[in-house]
Amino acid sequence: MSDIQSAGSKRILKILPYLSLLSVLAIWELVVDTGLVPNTLLATPIQVIELFIYKLSHADPDGSVLLVHVLTSIGEALTGYTLALLIGIPLGLLMGWFVVAEGLARPIFEMIRPIPPVAWIPLAIFWFGVGLTGKAFIIWASGIVPCVINSFVGVRMTNPVYIRMARTYGASDWEIFKNICVPSALPMVFGGLQVALAASWTALVAAELIAADTGLGFLITMGRRLLMPDMIVLGMLMVGLTGVFIGIVIDRVEKRLVAGVRR
Amino acid sequence: MSNNGKREAKVTVNGLTKKFGELLVLNDISFKVYEGELLCIVGPTGCGKTTFLNLLSRLIPPTKGNILIDGKDADPKKHNLSFVFQEPSCMPWRTVKENIAYGMEIKKLPQADLDQRLNKIMELVGLTESANLYPNQISSSMEQRVAIARAFAVNPDLLLMDEPYGQLDVKLRYYLEDELVRIWQELKSTVLFVTHNIEEAVYVAERILILTNKPTTVKSEVVVDLPRPRDFRDPKFVEIRKQVTELIKWW
Repeated sequence: MSDIQSAGSKRILKILPYLSLLSVLAIWELVVDTGLVPNTLLATPIQVIELFIYKLSHADPDGSVLLVHVLTSIGEALTGYTLALLIGIPLGLLMGWFVVAEGLARPIFEMIRPIPPVAWIPLAIFWFGVGLTGKAFIIWASGIVPCVINSFVGVRMTNPVYIRMARTYGASDWEIFKNICVPSALPMVFGGLQVALAASWTALVAAELIAADTGLGFLITMGRRLLMPDMIVLGMLMVGLTGVFIGIVIDRVEKRLVAGVRR
Repeated sequence: MSNNGKREAKVTVNGLTKKFGELLVLNDISFKVYEGELLCIVGPTGCGKTTFLNLLSRLIPPTKGNILIDGKDADPKKHNLSFVFQEPSCMPWRTVKENIAYGMEIKKLPQADLDQRLNKIMELVGLTESANLYPNQISSSMEQRVAIARAFAVNPDLLLMDEPYGQLDVKLRYYLEDELVRIWQELKSTVLFVTHNIEEAVYVAERILILTNKPTTVKSEVVVDLPRPRDFRDPKFVEIRKQVTELIKWW
């Protein structure tokens, strides 16, 4: 892509993104400052930054400093997400290769899959309360679906030539699964990790909006209750930034793990 | 080399028949492959060569007939079978070296033997310097050499090759055919080489079996007792090539 672009367009591409961001912020600031949109409905970027700096060290008015909210959310997300990986990936891989696994697990999976994860929220509150466990459960329920599907499809897409080759050497079903299907499915599995992360993060915010006492979703809810539009926007931005941060970390881990799988 | 009467039969195929539903694909195929022989099988396009090879490698069961290796029913778990496919078959997540070792790993060779054989075979096919490269870093002809090295490395009782050079250009093919003959002479494996390229068959084979159209059976046998290295322009070579071409004609 980059080598078909001229040097001039590369330079433009370096400048334009900043220009576009700055103009959005400027217009945002202006529409509120000029009174086009009342300040009670929308905070200005400057107010959001001021609140961000204030919340770094102050617990009020919502009860916790910003870092606590961020860490709560990350903790819940990673708990649910890790459990989704640990259960979903092996399940999907096994379902892709072993008929018994597919026959047993698929009907249950297909039955639960169309239920939106947020629909679990009331039951999760009944069962686990508003603490970490309940939210981890909802995140698990939303993260496991892409894990299973991508692992399953990854195994199914294994080049049949490799399987035939292994069979002529007398490899057992388990050996073929372990040596051929799993490594061959890895790129698909890692693709699933990013999808699962996005799903988990979405479910997390939804779960916290409804029931929580800390966390970024809770911060947004409190902004609404306290009529503080700057806190709502801050919460939204922090959800986005934290999501990007986790995404980058997972991408790094993935690159390291599949360093051998260059294709 | 042509004294086949004196050689031991390594593989015996008796009345091999395959039907897919009512469709008779292979009809009563019988032949022998001698110990250490390089046998070529040629036939018209679409004559069921793939089915034939899948039966020999035990990927699918025959309708009738059997395949014996050293007098016992062929079984991939007991016998050393190897298969070189026409399509690239190197696993992209393994290096050249790990790909070549794969067959031996499945056969559970002790690590010391495995390393020794691995080094020998890599030397033989000239891949020692590429040992740690991944398949996407080497050319497709090198990939095919990796597949061939992997097949020879298990000391196969029977090595099946399904048009291994079908997708390569002519110049590379000549080179790899020479290499194949060299490895085979060195390791004395029993090789069954399927091709539709008559010149290739006459160039590498000790004996050529000619198949008929579907339902496929063995039409005839041509012994190629030319000295090696062979020359495409040798009148005897040309004569045998013509003979095989006449036999293969179905039009």
